[in-house]
Amino acid sequence: MPLPRLGYDNLGLGVGLRSTHFDYILKNQPEVDWFEVISENFIDSQGRPRYVLQQIAERYPVVMHGVSLSIGSTDPLDFEYLGKLKRLARETNAQWISDHLCWTGILGRNTHDLLPVPFTEATLRHVVERVRTLQDFLERPFVLENPSSYITFQDSTMDEWEFISRMAEEADCGLLLDVNNVYVSSFNHDMDPDQFIRSLPHERIVQFHLAGHANYTKYIIDTHDNHVVDPVWELYRTAHQLTGGVSTLLEWDANIPPFPVVHAEVLKAKRFMGEHLEPAAAHPETEPVLAGETVFHPLHQILAEVE
Amino acid sequence: MSERSLDVVQRWFQAVVTHPDGVEGGVESEEAQRLIRLNRSELEAVIGRSRNLTAAERMGIYANAYYARLLECLASFFPVLQKALGADVFEGFAFEYLQHYPSKSYTLDRLGESFARFLAETRPEPEEADGEDSQAGAVGWPDFLIDLTVFEWNLNQVFDGPGVEGKPLLTAELLQSFPAERFAEARLVPVPCLRLLAFRFPVNAYYTAARHAGEGEEPPIPDPAPEYVALTRRDFVVRRFPLMPAQHALLEKTLAGAPVGEAIAAAAEISGLDDEALGAELQAWFRLWVAEGFFQSITSP
Repeated sequence: MPLPRLGYDNLGLGVGLRSTHFDYILKNQPEVDWFEVISENFIDSQGRPRYVLQQIAERYPVVMHGVSLSIGSTDPLDFEYLGKLKRLARETNAQWISDHLCWTGILGRNTHDLLPVPFTEATLRHVVERVRTLQDFLERPFVLENPSSYITFQDSTMDEWEFISRMAEEADCGLLLDVNNVYVSSFNHDMDPDQFIRSLPHERIVQFHLAGHANYTKYIIDTHDNHVVDPVWELYRTAHQLTGGVSTLLEWDANIPPFPVVHAEVLKAKRFMGEHLEPAAAHPETEPVLAGETVFHPLHQILAEVE
Repeated sequence: MSERSLDVVQRWFQAVVTHPDGVEGGVESEEAQRLIRLNRSELEAVIGRSRNLTAAERMGIYANAYYARLLECLASFFPVLQKALGADVFEGFAFEYLQHYPSKSYTLDRLGESFARFLAETRPEPEEADGEDSQAGAVGWPDFLIDLTVFEWNLNQVFDGPGVEGKPLLTAELLQSFPAERFAEARLVPVPCLRLLAFRFPVNAYYTAARHAGEGEEPPIPDPAPEYVALTRRDFVVRRFPLMPAQHALLEKTLAGAPVGEAIAAAAEISGLDDEALGAELQAWFRLWVAEGFFQSITSP
């Protein structure tokens, strides 16, 4: 039986590092437990992003979170990319490296989206083999996140939570449980989010993600552009109880408010860790988004600064 | 029906959600049909429906997101080009570009690297672009767009490329103390972030005007006129320096590794100045460039 969190540290309540907050963080050095960085924003940088990350890594624990691993793709693993991940992890002393249970493209293309896989025995074998390969290569803890998804494949022969559980056990990797993604996918696929969370191997959950989303009434999109809604906080309470507490990270990627607002959002998690801290309902399910508005999972870009 | 291979499912899925005509066009495309033969009404044989949405509606979420996401990314790389073209026309060009040059990199930072090439490849012939009186090979407004694209792409490259922050640079004192008799044979080592650009239109001036323009204002597209620009980076911010042709010639030679004397000769050839006047100019140029951190060091042969 693995140790809780696979024996990795509970880093506390962290915030996803975004370029709009670079100046604030460097100047104010806020009391944040840890930062998660988007790996692809930094692995090639020879400019300010890399410099800022170096400064932050000197003061805070850092975790690297990627969006281009494409672990589920049938294209070969990109070892040039993995080598860069490994180097940056060494440079920042990243506590672990994470990415998503998804594929991002095939035939050499990258859609820059987190695309779903069919939950079949063949997919499971494929993903497990690749996770083992890259864990051997990275020589650093590796955890996979459940993405938000908007379709299901008729070929699937098992539930998502069964796939994730078996994958984690057979590949011997950690899990990044995105509680908001559980909520989003469960809504989109008529699943029970509580059952999803209760069915996972809780000792393998190394990290949580929290984020806001956009509700289109008939479906929900994982937009990371708002506060965490109350039903997601309730799922977080359950997940916290089942795991005993793990590193928790808030993602906010569009309509990003000032840093103290983002930080305050993740600190709300404290209210859901104990039995005696009941908050007033602050953010019920988001207002439905008007049809016709373009809403999508945001990109993570750092824009040039030009005088 | 037997289980389809993961490879087939992924090729099919990508063909459908990246098709320019959306999910319906994607499902019926030749590529998708070759992989999974079905008509649009049979989509639910592959993709499940939900309580609220059909399979096609659900696939549409991915199809819409694919272009919306990447178009937004391109617009962020080329904000002044977008302003010059207008959002709709820019999006039309960018939409075509993504079909010709889909991302093949793990990073979005390369998404726009072929945009200028794409615009050049699809450039209308001069007579189409500028009316019947135009000469073949004449410079026209498409060239302005291409130049502006090259300019903005270089700004992005300099911003996140190699730099010299925190490293020693050539100072005025070091340059002055260099033995005068060895100056002509010496080589100035440029900083790695120094880039020289030559344009057919004054795109740097246009870039400045566009950034200063108010909401809804648009500077007029300039007439063609050669423009030379140096880009570099200090304290992680990209800096722009308009250059005279002689300055460009001198720096171009310097970047190519030529000795200072040879670089100055190249400048002298096109400056139109006599030796005395050129000498005064050179002093001023080197003073400015050293102060602005164009060079890392000066080396003797």
